Amino acid sequence: MKQILFGLVLLVWAGLGLSACSPTTTATSAETIRIRWARDPDNLDPLLVDNPSAFEVTNLLHCSLLKGNEAQNRFVPWLAEAQPTTRPLGDSLLLVTYRLRPQATWDNGSPVLARDVAFTLKVMNCPGLPIERDQATFGFIRNIQLDAHDPRQFTLVCAGQSGDRVSISGDFSILPEYVLDPRGTLRTVPLPQLALPRFQSVAQAFARRYQALNLARHPERLPGCGAYTLTAWQPGRYLTLRRKARWWADSLPAPPPELQAFPPQLTYQVIPDATTATMALRRGEIDLYALMPAAEFARLQHASPDQTSLRFYTTNSYEFLTANFNVRRPALRDALTRQALTYLFDIPALIRATQQGAASPSAGPISPRIARYYNDSLPLPSFSPARAAALLRQARWQRQPDGSWQRQGAQATTERLQLTISYRAGEPSFETVALQFRSAALALGIPVQLHPTEQSLLSRQLRAGEYDMNIRQLAGNPFSYDFTSLLHSRGIGNGNTTGFSTPQTDRLIEAIPLATSPAEKARLLRKFQRALAYERPFSVLYFMRYRVAASRRLGVVPVMGLVPGYEASRIRLEKKPTTR
Amino acid sequence: MKAPTVWRHVGRNLVTAWLVLSGLFLLTRGLTDATSYLQTALEADSRIQAAERSQLTRQLLHRAGLDLPLFYISFEPTQGWQWEGTANQYHAWAANLLQGRLGTSYRSSAPVSGLLLEALRYTLPLTVLAAVLSAMVSVGLATTLNGRYPAGRRALLYLLHALQAAPLFLLATGLLLLFANPDVLAWFPAFGLGLEEESATWWQAPGRLLYHLALPVGSLVLMSAPALTIQLDAALQHELRQPYVATARAKGAAPSQVVWRHALRNALLPTITLLTELLPNLVAGAVVVEVLFALPGMGRLLAEAAATQDYPVLLGGVTLVVLARVVAQLLADALYLRTDPRIRLQA
Repeated sequence: MKQILFGLVLLVWAGLGLSACSPTTTATSAETIRIRWARDPDNLDPLLVDNPSAFEVTNLLHCSLLKGNEAQNRFVPWLAEAQPTTRPLGDSLLLVTYRLRPQATWDNGSPVLARDVAFTLKVMNCPGLPIERDQATFGFIRNIQLDAHDPRQFTLVCAGQSGDRVSISGDFSILPEYVLDPRGTLRTVPLPQLALPRFQSVAQAFARRYQALNLARHPERLPGCGAYTLTAWQPGRYLTLRRKARWWADSLPAPPPELQAFPPQLTYQVIPDATTATMALRRGEIDLYALMPAAEFARLQHASPDQTSLRFYTTNSYEFLTANFNVRRPALRDALTRQALTYLFDIPALIRATQQGAASPSAGPISPRIARYYNDSLPLPSFSPARAAALLRQARWQRQPDGSWQRQGAQATTERLQLTISYRAGEPSFETVALQFRSAALALGIPVQLHPTEQSLLSRQLRAGEYDMNIRQLAGNPFSYDFTSLLHSRGIGNGNTTGFSTPQTDRLIEAIPLATSPAEKARLLRKFQRALAYERPFSVLYFMRYRVAASRRLGVVPVMGLVPGYEASRIRLEKKPTTR
Repeated sequence: MKAPTVWRHVGRNLVTAWLVLSGLFLLTRGLTDATSYLQTALEADSRIQAAERSQLTRQLLHRAGLDLPLFYISFEPTQGWQWEGTANQYHAWAANLLQGRLGTSYRSSAPVSGLLLEALRYTLPLTVLAAVLSAMVSVGLATTLNGRYPAGRRALLYLLHALQAAPLFLLATGLLLLFANPDVLAWFPAFGLGLEEESATWWQAPGRLLYHLALPVGSLVLMSAPALTIQLDAALQHELRQPYVATARAKGAAPSQVVWRHALRNALLPTITLLTELLPNLVAGAVVVEVLFALPGMGRLLAEAAATQDYPVLLGGVTLVVLARVVAQLLADALYLRTDPRIRLQA
């Protein structure tokens, strides 16, 4: 026994000694930027990507025609040479014409052509492949017409004529035909006819070849026309991307931000736990930690050693926390009651308690940072139990001798104002909001029960309308203002969990995406926000800020209000002062 | 022990395992929302319109086979009990399982068996090392305290009880904040198994692995060794009061000899149960440690599968753990027979 123990101790000692003596960094480390991920991409098949890590990698490996630009609040040309031109066809179709950048090439040196775009659309429509998501997102692209004279020009025939559809029509990764279909078997098949029986054998053969590549786990088998190639991926541990030595966009005289790629190597380290990630950042094992929890961020900002080794950034995001009202409940069916309950959220105190003061209150679901569309003439919600009581009286609620509230409902029934508030279990900020609301409501004589619920159960309850109030987080973006799934009558049973709809808001929701000018869109959006501020199907509590902490060996990190919170390809390494 | 008895014993364990897995399958599928694993991704995608979303949900459920009835029979309040035939989710799952197929992950579209094997590559070095060290530490401590240094026994038992009471996340976070913290001691890495570009030669690799696993293994040893030591110590105390020990002492055996040669074998019986209980834990991994130290092992895989409603992975992992438990029980029985030949198994 003793000998075994001694042997083991010797082994550990020798191992540690040898590890310590051997070099722990190599030449590539100095030019590698290490970024923390909370979660692995799981699946990198371009047809199946569905989490933020996977989208981030896909956007570094591949290019789309257009890319969302936060500074300009719109989609801007990426692989396309310029914004597409549009032309209505009849009263339901839209022709969207693109031209690809002449410099764009694949890794084998061949140019990226319109036929690659046509091929990509065929992949996204190929029976036998997992195309359900692409069909739901891009199914409105009915056909593609290649220009007979210009191999880089093509026209997409789209169903629907809204501006959002134009943006979405350029938002898919263009795949290389020479890799996936070197013999061009799909080239002769027209896009709308791909699902017809006479092309079944061609489509099936292609689907088999595509699935044999197992791109979900081997994305390196599909080199894109983006600036990076995937060099290593250990699922659950790390993923490394290497910048191409010669990338086509390097030949552009002044590449736009979308076509800039500075880091020679990017390594994403999967570290699920926030404490461990913070420790790794402080030890220099990672260089960038985005979407940091508020408490950790504030602590690091005030710790003196970290002030000298790290830089801290915050930026307003488009994610917001809401308190939703189930308008199908008799007690919550009238707008005045919902307005009254909104006055019981002490939003400044909640922002201090859950976000260390770093969040922005808002009058509605449009972020205050989008000044053009935000309705700044609406008052911010305030905490006022007295105002809440007055509004409840206006809604015909009567205070009872025991302090509770009652009113006469339909068919001479008595309604009591008592609520349950459900939220995802294990989420501290949701719980804080619910507790604060319960305390304020109870002081006003409204009993509130908290229902922290497991995610899948909660999801089912929300869609079935089995709740009174609910705390949840929603995410918007500065490019699209389509509220159909969230607030339109067509979204009830799907994304519209509050069950809210009025003819006026339905009309506005339909009109907003069709607005032809920014001024018209702003007018409609402001009107929509005013309607929501009165109807209150949900109360926006605050818009969150994204927090990013980064090592000082990186230059100024370009942060953004969209997930992941930074633009990896535009991070520069800090130039070291030359020493003599 | 006769062969039919062994087979009856194994058979009974396997039937129990099958019932446990079937129960878990029916509960996870029956009580939760089949579409919940899709909702997060679908709700985050503002490009998908409301009308397309419900159709997409139906198509994705069909692809995953979740649009079939759950079981052979179903109950509808309006129609009563109904026979659903063999085209049901349970039948498909059971038929696949009997052929050794655990299904495909919803998240990664990869075969579950491959994901489990990949996770075991990280979990087994961690848990086996921790189990071996725990066993060695507990046997070493218990025998030393009862043999050579009885004076320190009480103080050490207090310490062990205190450690046993501490939850694993506290121990692991404590080790992280003590030994991977630039403000205290930065002796060990904060996470993972090293950087990918650090190419290690074959003789460096074990050392590097031990260096990176030091804190995770340390946490697990601190969690499991106290219970084993306390149990073994109590058993040794019991044995040391037996007449055969007095005889050994009367014959002039040294205290450590009495413990090692005479008392330990008898005292090991209850500890064998505890040690074999470790086997399913070896396979199941240690969620807390794997999440904290960013090791992509079984514990983390199962926890993430549960959180994201990736039920094929969850059920596959539980199948493996249940099988490990059956093997552990058989192993415990075999070790009992070997340690004390007087014990007989009854069918």
